[in-house]
Amino acid sequence: MVYAATVAGTVLWLAAILLAPWLAGRGADGAARIVYAVFAPVCHQDPQRCFALGGHPLAVCGRCLGIYMGFAAGLALTPFVRGFSRLALPRGRIFAVLILPMALDGVAGVLGLWRSPIGVRFVTGFAWGTILPFYFVAGVADLVLIRRRRRSGRGLEKSQGPT
Amino acid sequence: MNKPKPEYLRPALIAGAVAGLLSGLPIIGAGNCLCCLWIVGGAAVAAKLLAAQTPGLLTAGDGAIVGALTGIFAAVVDTLVKMPFQRYNLELARRILDRFSEYGTDIPSGLEGWLDLGSGALSPGWLLLGLFFSAAVYAVMGALGGTIGVSLFGRKAIPPTPSAPPATPQGPSDAT
Repeated sequence: MVYAATVAGTVLWLAAILLAPWLAGRGADGAARIVYAVFAPVCHQDPQRCFALGGHPLAVCGRCLGIYMGFAAGLALTPFVRGFSRLALPRGRIFAVLILPMALDGVAGVLGLWRSPIGVRFVTGFAWGTILPFYFVAGVADLVLIRRRRRSGRGLEKSQGPT
Repeated sequence: MNKPKPEYLRPALIAGAVAGLLSGLPIIGAGNCLCCLWIVGGAAVAAKLLAAQTPGLLTAGDGAIVGALTGIFAAVVDTLVKMPFQRYNLELARRILDRFSEYGTDIPSGLEGWLDLGSGALSPGWLLLGLFFSAAVYAVMGALGGTIGVSLFGRKAIPPTPSAPPATPQGPSDAT
């Protein structure tokens, strides 16, 4: 259930990223502006750092697109790597290895040491994004289990009544 | 038999307030442009605070709960902090546009429409809509950050004991 909902949400999120330039290309500026505004809190949307569709920038930058595409790829791998029954989280080392390229690239960019091309931004974001669904699906699935257990515990207490 | 419920509210409130403040401030708030850095980081810190104050072991779900709550609190604080800055930024942009027109310079197309949209965003309806959307996005990002936080700062699984069921079920579950 959680997995299916995450897949649906990811597909919608990626579709919305493409929707903004598509709307702008069709002259629906007002609707495009709203879609761009939706993504504004989570991305700087600098057109120079965004891939373009039909001459209009996507709703998020190359790195963010990489993270979301990586998330989708990791999500597709989740059933094969973890299966549906294991809620164990990835090891800290794997997390560190996958975040390191993006962190180095990001920090160096902020410090002005180098200005990486959009392809590098996309790839480093993609690498980091692939591990995220292994956390997200496990976390939310366990959250649902915790709530179910607590609800059934409360139901049991009620059915037993005051002693 | 259930394990005792961890106290999620306090760590979520503390970390949410800090993450919301950082997200709402100009320039510093741009940190959220990197995969919601302040929200994911704030939720991870909330998980660390939860791990520090909880005697039992934490599961991925505990991290997701405290992270999602952190995201919701951060969205409220972020909206409140942004309100005065939004007015200031719009006023500043208007003045710049007025100065442009005084010198007879063409105003880039779409900028006036953007300002109108920004003015509309100050109305209570738009504020509530923005808050609702931010809370939804930040809750999702927070759940992710909280789970990462539990994996980094807390222990991952409850070892099976005679009195408590394991937190990582071995059998298939329809939750995933």
